[in-house]
Amino acid sequence: MEDDYYSIESILAENQKIQCTFKTDVPDMGHLDGGKTGDIKALSKVQLPLWMVYILIYSDYADFTIPPPFAARVRNALNAEAKSVRLSALVGQGGLWYGFGRMIMRLLNDIPAAELSKVLTDTFHKRLPEVIDQAQHFASLQGTIGGSSRGGDAIVAAFREGMDGTERELFQLAQESAKRTKLWYEASDRGRR
Amino acid sequence: MSLPPSLRASITPPELELVASEQLVEIVPLVSMERTAFISGAYGPLRPPTKCKVPLWMASNLKLKKKCHIIPPTWLNVEFLQDRLTQETTLPSFSEMPFRFAEVAKILLDVAPDDLQNPEKIRTLLKDIREARQAKSREGLSKLDPNELILQNLAAMEINEIRPFFVRGMSVLTQLTREPPAGDPMDET
Repeated sequence: MEDDYYSIESILAENQKIQCTFKTDVPDMGHLDGGKTGDIKALSKVQLPLWMVYILIYSDYADFTIPPPFAARVRNALNAEAKSVRLSALVGQGGLWYGFGRMIMRLLNDIPAAELSKVLTDTFHKRLPEVIDQAQHFASLQGTIGGSSRGGDAIVAAFREGMDGTERELFQLAQESAKRTKLWYEASDRGRR
Repeated sequence: MSLPPSLRASITPPELELVASEQLVEIVPLVSMERTAFISGAYGPLRPPTKCKVPLWMASNLKLKKKCHIIPPTWLNVEFLQDRLTQETTLPSFSEMPFRFAEVAKILLDVAPDDLQNPEKIRTLLKDIREARQAKSREGLSKLDPNELILQNLAAMEINEIRPFFVRGMSVLTQLTREPPAGDPMDET
């Protein structure tokens, strides 16, 4: 999620494609639109990876449309119940919904960017407790196989599958930490002293 | 970067225990010993039955050799903990506990249960307190703020447990929050 040049996550988040509309003719660049040769005509719509879009937008060759993972339909769903949206389904397996959103946010200006930022932070806030709860729940389950005692297990499992890459990382951190602390509380090292 | 991810974010509970065992506790020695220099300082002399202050690691060592009785700290008894548990469950804030109470309590319950009154009850109370406090820090999670986090009276072990994902969560939030208009270089993410 960082801007680090070497961050694999950052590269993966940039690999998402978004739809652009060219404003001008670009000669001999038709291969960008998948195999065809020739020119790109003005007003043609092309799916381009995010890393290429930056330069096109900043130099005013093209406009872009907000990609579906952040479109109004998803925003409404997030508003209604952030926990029931499957973020991973929006950006593909192991995708980084937050990372992608942040990059889109930086392409936008003022008001739309502030709106998107609000969507991202609100979603994060609403989903985080559930992520950590589940992580701690799983840490305490350690050892008991198939200990499915929580109510509404299908919903719980669906949420887990719907976590995006960033949330997965947090999940793992919380689980590791809870496991370690639990182990310490339960261990007795009387014999070692 | 050669450390596993879980160790990069925080230190381990046994390490915290080690740190806590430098704290001084009172003991009633059963053997006499001259004042002796250790790396962390000079302790003693031990003159039974005069009370003496030694670090926890030394106390537990002597205790296991049956060479002293440990006098538990003032907060490690049923009444005090019961009182704190009531505070914990009725008030929204964390109650005041010694910073390293979890570690000290564990060591003492481990090596010197016979010096405590009603160790089983103490154990249960500590567990209840821990759970009540955990529920509170969980609540703090939904109010996570990219700039600051104030959880007063949180103890060392508790901070250590929540540190990895609180820190990560805050850094994610920092990045999702839109940078304020240019002009303040300190606010760049």
